[in-house]
Amino acid sequence: MSILAYNGGAMVAMKGENCVSIATDRRFGIQAQTIATNFEKVFQMGPHLYVGLPGLATDTQTVMEKLRFRKNLYELKENRLMSPKVFAAMLSNLLYEKRFGPFFVEPVVAGLMPKTYEPYICNMDLIGCINPPNDFVVGGTASAQLYGMCEALWEPNLGPEDLFETTSQALINAFDRDAISGWGATVYIIEKDKVTIKNLKTRMD
Amino acid sequence: MFATENAYYPDYSTKPIQHSFSPYADNGGSVVAIAGDDFVVVGADTRLSAGFSIYTREQNKLFPLSNTTVLGCSGCWCDTLTLTRILKSRMQMYHQEHNKVMSTTACAQMLSTMLYYKRFFPYYISNILVGLDNEGKGCIYSYDPIGHCEKTTYRAGGSAGALLQPLLDNQIGQKNLTKVSAESITQEKALAILKDVFISAAERDIYTGDNVMINIITKDGIKEDNFELRKD
Amino acid sequence: MFDPMANAPPLWSNGPTPGSFYNFPGPQTKPNDHFTHSQSPVTTATSIVALAYDKGIMIAGDLLASYGSLARYRNCPRIMEVNDNILLGAGGDYADFQYVKSFIEQKIIDEECLDDGIKLKPKSLYCWLTRVMYQRRNKFDPLWNNLVIGGIQDGTPFLGTVDKLGTAYTDRAICTGYGAHIALPMIRDAIEKKAQPLTQAEARALIEKSLEVLFYRDARSYPKYQLGIIDQDEGVKIEGPLSVSQNWNIATIIKSV
Repeated sequence: MSILAYNGGAMVAMKGENCVSIATDRRFGIQAQTIATNFEKVFQMGPHLYVGLPGLATDTQTVMEKLRFRKNLYELKENRLMSPKVFAAMLSNLLYEKRFGPFFVEPVVAGLMPKTYEPYICNMDLIGCINPPNDFVVGGTASAQLYGMCEALWEPNLGPEDLFETTSQALINAFDRDAISGWGATVYIIEKDKVTIKNLKTRMD
Repeated sequence: MFATENAYYPDYSTKPIQHSFSPYADNGGSVVAIAGDDFVVVGADTRLSAGFSIYTREQNKLFPLSNTTVLGCSGCWCDTLTLTRILKSRMQMYHQEHNKVMSTTACAQMLSTMLYYKRFFPYYISNILVGLDNEGKGCIYSYDPIGHCEKTTYRAGGSAGALLQPLLDNQIGQKNLTKVSAESITQEKALAILKDVFISAAERDIYTGDNVMINIITKDGIKEDNFELRKD
Repeated sequence: MFDPMANAPPLWSNGPTPGSFYNFPGPQTKPNDHFTHSQSPVTTATSIVALAYDKGIMIAGDLLASYGSLARYRNCPRIMEVNDNILLGAGGDYADFQYVKSFIEQKIIDEECLDDGIKLKPKSLYCWLTRVMYQRRNKFDPLWNNLVIGGIQDGTPFLGTVDKLGTAYTDRAICTGYGAHIALPMIRDAIEKKAQPLTQAEARALIEKSLEVLFYRDARSYPKYQLGIIDQDEGVKIEGPLSVSQNWNIATIIKSV
């Protein structure tokens, strides 16, 4: 089995009207055995910037620490916030440095650009190939299921409430068909003046 | 210089190319079936492919076994051809021995047995058998390649099975919804969802596309329908 | 003194061990050489290009049989006239094609001996070859060919193909090998652009163009080819050896960067 599927996990981010969402499951497992149901895979990297790191759990945490370090250094040097676009480029660079011995994570970045508050999402593969689409991105072991759900449910210009519903339905129904994702979900809705974090109750089997 | 044995660059290898024989091929294709109280609809795309080439854009993958039973196949096409041919003759033998048409439930059991008979050299097919049961209700049986059988009311199988099954769970099984309607699904709604899910599948699965062949099975027989998908 | 959990030693050196299987000395037959003996192609022919037009079928294939990258045999016909309403074209291993050809010929002779006036039909041959190829794949000893069967049945053109696994399908245009990548898109494009079926002249032009492009880009191709035509009015014929019209003038324009 692939190292990317050792711990399991599902991740999705969507664009809406002046808002973005990022959502993930809560499971931490070792292959088929569930160890914990409160595992964090999405991290705040700025007031309007979140990154999700599904994949090998140890690399999730290592990459998160490395990212925080580089982002802090950037913000101290430049004395300004890091935009999602720059953050994605930095993450891509960090991953490509390890081209021949990669971190086993498939990152998802979601945020609003500083000043313009324009939505930005992207995902990348484990060596940092960026894909910034206009609709949604997925990652983790339930990505096939998520593609199917998102392709049918997503529509342009969703408001925050509708975006929350769409993201949640896409994620939950997708990971219910994946044996190593699920066990609870967290949805982040990022708007200009607030970020709403909701923990969802899902089936736990 | 490139190392002659370098597995990273097979194009630059100086060793003779090894052709190894694999008896199986993945020819792709997706099948989706939805059952209602007095009908069942089944759809299959018409693309037959292998790797990055499309063999043909008009391959029917639905096989009517009787007036109330249809089998949808996807996977290894040469196995599908063989299996469906044997099935057809088994249907005829049953008809001649018992002087009646085999019921959908009997077909379902027979298919399971036939698949398991080749347990150690399986037919590499994901089968979805649909039809009307003895009470005239729509029913769906889905199989793994070695004959495990499950009866359901909706199912997606084949190359886009993983993409579509959660969508059907949500839209037809009404999973994870707070407002659940008690009414059973209508034929119009089933057809609309069937078409929608195929459009979604064709967006992300390269093995699904070109056209969808639909069979609508009611007590009046099998009606055929067809609609186009993206062809790239 | 006696530990029931421990493994007993062999009764004598290289002798049988109590409680375990005894492997007789001498060369061992491994079950996996059952797989490795299954062959691979040796002398090979490249693409077949075939398409249906309004009144019949056209199948073309060049005359080269390659030995790896060596252009070994340069006069190997691989379009076969099965009877007066079936044409067969083959790519892949040339020896396997000769074997297929011989047993099809025998089949035709056997049929002739019955003297019942019934002739093999294209769909029957297509279906039968599907079974032959599938049975050989089940034995892990495939006939390493792509066979293209063309003919006229009940007044309508029929075109089908079978590969070494027994994978079979029918279509208006069928190309194998590099033809599937280079010629087939061109042919499908030409068919889709025209609402009515192609005429014989159009089909011929399309095949000539396909073989020309294949000759430029497929390193295992050859400019000498045969063209099999089966037509409702004109019957069956195999033309050739014909020559690909070549134009290498553009070659001087191409500059490697």
